[in-house]
Amino acid sequence: MSTEFLEMKNLSKFYGNIIALTGVTTTVNPGEVTCVLGDNGAGKSTFIKILAGVHQHDEGELILEGAEVKFASPREALSAGIATVYQDLAMVPLMSVWRNFFLGQEPRKGMWPFRQIDIDKAKTIAKDEMAKMGIDIRDTEQSVGTLSGGERQSVAIARASYFGARVLILDEPTSALGVKQSGVVLRRIVEARDQGLAVIFITHNPHHAYPVGDRFVILKRGRALGNWAKEELSQAELTQLMAGGAELEQLQHELAQAGTD
Amino acid sequence: MAETTNDKPAESAADSGDERLAHRGPIQTLLTRPEIGALLGLVGVGVMFWLVAGQFGTVGGIANFLDTAAILGIMAVPVALLMIGGEFDLSSGAMTGATAMVVVLLSIDPGSGGAGLNLFMAVPLTLALALSIGWFNGTVVDRTSLPSFIVTLGTFFILWGGKLGFAKLFTDKVIVGDGGQLKDAGGFDFWSSIFGAEWVLNPQKVESGEIDESGQAILEIVPGTGHIWDGRDWAWAGLLIVGGAALLLGVLELTYRRRSAYKMSGIAASAVGVAVAVAGFVYLLTQGGSASEWIGGILIAAGVLAGVSGWCVARYEPADRSGAGAANAPGLASRLGAGVAGIVLGVVIALLMDSGNTERLGFLPGAAGRTVFAIGIAVAGVLAVLAAMGRIRMTYPLIGAAIMFIPTVSFLVTGQAARVLLFGGLAGAGVLLLASSAGRSRMPLVFSLLSAVALVVLAFFIQLESTSRKLRVELFVVLLLIALLVAVAALASHLCQRRQTAVASADLGPWARVGAVAGLAGVVVFAILELIDGDGIIYSVVVGIAKGALVAFAVYAAGALYKLLFTSDEGTGRAVVVVGAGLVALSFIARLLFITTEEALATNARTSFRVQVLFLLLYAAAGTWVLAKTQFGNWIFAVGGNKEAARSVGVPAARAKTTLFMLVSGSAWLAGMLIAFRQLSVQADVGNGDEFRYIIVAVVGGNLLTGGYGSALGAAIGAIIWGMISQGIGFALWNSNWQFLVLGALLLVAVIVNNYIRGRAEKAPVRTEKAKPDQAEITIVVPKEPASGAKEDQQ
Repeated sequence: MSTEFLEMKNLSKFYGNIIALTGVTTTVNPGEVTCVLGDNGAGKSTFIKILAGVHQHDEGELILEGAEVKFASPREALSAGIATVYQDLAMVPLMSVWRNFFLGQEPRKGMWPFRQIDIDKAKTIAKDEMAKMGIDIRDTEQSVGTLSGGERQSVAIARASYFGARVLILDEPTSALGVKQSGVVLRRIVEARDQGLAVIFITHNPHHAYPVGDRFVILKRGRALGNWAKEELSQAELTQLMAGGAELEQLQHELAQAGTD
Repeated sequence: MAETTNDKPAESAADSGDERLAHRGPIQTLLTRPEIGALLGLVGVGVMFWLVAGQFGTVGGIANFLDTAAILGIMAVPVALLMIGGEFDLSSGAMTGATAMVVVLLSIDPGSGGAGLNLFMAVPLTLALALSIGWFNGTVVDRTSLPSFIVTLGTFFILWGGKLGFAKLFTDKVIVGDGGQLKDAGGFDFWSSIFGAEWVLNPQKVESGEIDESGQAILEIVPGTGHIWDGRDWAWAGLLIVGGAALLLGVLELTYRRRSAYKMSGIAASAVGVAVAVAGFVYLLTQGGSASEWIGGILIAAGVLAGVSGWCVARYEPADRSGAGAANAPGLASRLGAGVAGIVLGVVIALLMDSGNTERLGFLPGAAGRTVFAIGIAVAGVLAVLAAMGRIRMTYPLIGAAIMFIPTVSFLVTGQAARVLLFGGLAGAGVLLLASSAGRSRMPLVFSLLSAVALVVLAFFIQLESTSRKLRVELFVVLLLIALLVAVAALASHLCQRRQTAVASADLGPWARVGAVAGLAGVVVFAILELIDGDGIIYSVVVGIAKGALVAFAVYAAGALYKLLFTSDEGTGRAVVVVGAGLVALSFIARLLFITTEEALATNARTSFRVQVLFLLLYAAAGTWVLAKTQFGNWIFAVGGNKEAARSVGVPAARAKTTLFMLVSGSAWLAGMLIAFRQLSVQADVGNGDEFRYIIVAVVGGNLLTGGYGSALGAAIGAIIWGMISQGIGFALWNSNWQFLVLGALLLVAVIVNNYIRGRAEKAPVRTEKAKPDQAEITIVVPKEPASGAKEDQQ
């Protein structure tokens, strides 16, 4: 592919005089995982929200299949094939699995004004899609609140891939999970990549990012530190960059000085 | 068969679907519904007032409380939807009065301070005004992200002040249209025939001038005439029995494993039993005297017991007797013996309580003695519940205390009602037992039978002691029916093995289609017949639809029963349950909503149903459908449950909420029109403060104050309960100041029952670990699913 599938050039976002994000440049391709790493307040959430259509960028370009785009609403981003799985999972805990799965895009049948949701179809599809993700849901009437964290992530990922997402954005999917469950979610990421989706994986944990990522963007205080392909970077370097290598050295230096004074 | 034990029948019993999915019986499904608390409250409150005040259960009484409930319900349903969507509208009450006032002000002649518009202009204009206020509420709440409490509180005061100010300004009074000028407005006849429509049930009396137009719709049977046993009562008793039988058959069909072929001896036994029961019923109703009641009652009881047992033998597989648990399971003979013993015991106790033997009850003097007696029986009920549950936790004594509380209090109020409620509580315990045992392999048989015995005792008790023939005959039938349902279901569950898989839907396609066509044809024919008779258009259409629906239902019922008898379609049970519930409902309609000529002539008050009752039914049905089946319903749950999540997956949250606010204000318009065209004059403070009633009613109906969960039907039921209490207190000749105490208690009880039962019912089918409440949930206790989590982790 000569042109990149989804390209960001110097993407920037300002809230008044606060620079939330500036100069982010990276590419995302089908069958690849682009990891976005950064500490708290680094601008990760702003970055996602621009891609998901919640916010609009102020400078720079967002290029989808060669054409510049700017999403005005989450619905627009969704219809362009960009699906986001949020940290808070975008799930309604009191609603059943199938209702959550189809929320916003319910299959319908019948004639207006008697048009209603095709519930049987929705239930079957939800069960089948979850089975594809390796999760056997007992009863799709079960409310999402009864699912474990990993299962909720899986519902969200299955939903995104079912609705023809081409880009899947995962916002800190492992941050609230235990070690075992994180492994499960990382495996889902690899599965989604192998299905040909372009995955954007947002995290602050380089140990989760390095094994699955093909490309890494590191954000720090609203600025992009750089954009590396996997072969240009070792896990140690990634960890070093993430841990704020320079600051740590500085700190070490200061501590040493304090000791001699 | 090594792994097949009585504790885990699921794996071996599964024949289709997901084997981990325990089959939920219809009772359990009902218990997980949000409106269950309201439903129980409806039955409880209804029965209580019916027994305390006989007139409450007559047509006039029902018309009376439904009238009060209707306007409340028309508002409570949309307010419930808005509440599920996570918002409140405090201006909804004031809005009803405001729309009523605006329409009057717009249409009365300029001389009286109005604008003199034709009603064809004024009514739509008022609707537009109402919708725009709703739109304003929604938009402000959405744009400013302020709590809707504050925003609509502002709208409320604006409306309140506006009503007073404009009324003063234009008419110089705080009441508009008090000269009846609305009647002179253009188009009054047309709009009045819609919003002011009314069906008078005893037109003979109205026409003869015995009752004036404004007569209070309180029905009073002329003293001395008593109850007239007529065609309506036959319909009531017959439909109730057939419906109860269908319900029972359907529940059995849904719950138990079916044989591949019928067993003829069972069919024969069943047929004999049915014949005996019918004979007993006919004997009871045709022969006079105390002896006929005894013989009839015993024949009915024995006949039904034999009939259902025979049916179970003919139709269902015997329980799997392999494994460790089989040794404890009593044999068929001992259970039948228990059933017979229960009935004999009931007869003996009833003999003791015979009104002719009152001196034998001398050991229970006065209210104190009766209270002790009530507590004693209630404690027995509590112990039964505890033992049946198999373990004791803090929550069970609470149910027990509730069961105990009701009869104790009611004993102090009135002797007769108390007994009914006492045993009603025991009946409730019996139903609870059935529900709780559905998820277990061993039925607490003995205790269910004890409940049944208690009910039989009650039936005879009432039969013998009551001076009211109506009470005797009707309650006797109902109680025997309930008792036998409990006893027989307990018995049957040991004759048969539980089915564990989900049920497919019934293949009733051709029947449903034929029924629909016949029903539609019926609608047209019946409507035309009514029109020929010279009735109004709305009345004819309503009667046509009702009768057509009856035709359609009859065809469907025939189809379901045919399927039950001659084929082995998996979903037939569900259809038969529907048929049974429909027949029972029809029996109540026959008993409660129709007035016979004799009764009409004996009535000295105008008895009528207003069009708002019809609107209430439409609202309840439409609201339930929207919530359960449509995309918009899904969005309502989503914006109330987690607005950000809903928005991020593409739900237009702002639009959905604004639509809900407009729905509330549009309904306030409907309520306002009903008020205006009924009273013709509108006071400036009409509706102020009603918004809290709508919210309370919605909460009683199982709607969560915090949004995201609830039921439109529940809100309508809550409104009917409110109507029953506020009118029933008048019927019972109690001081009406008590009504808020009763309402407050009801609110608390309904919420607690909703919460408790829902938590229990959701936990019930989990056979493995004890559930822990999810921390994230406030009100709904949900089980974690350890099995699937473990499975997932292994991958």
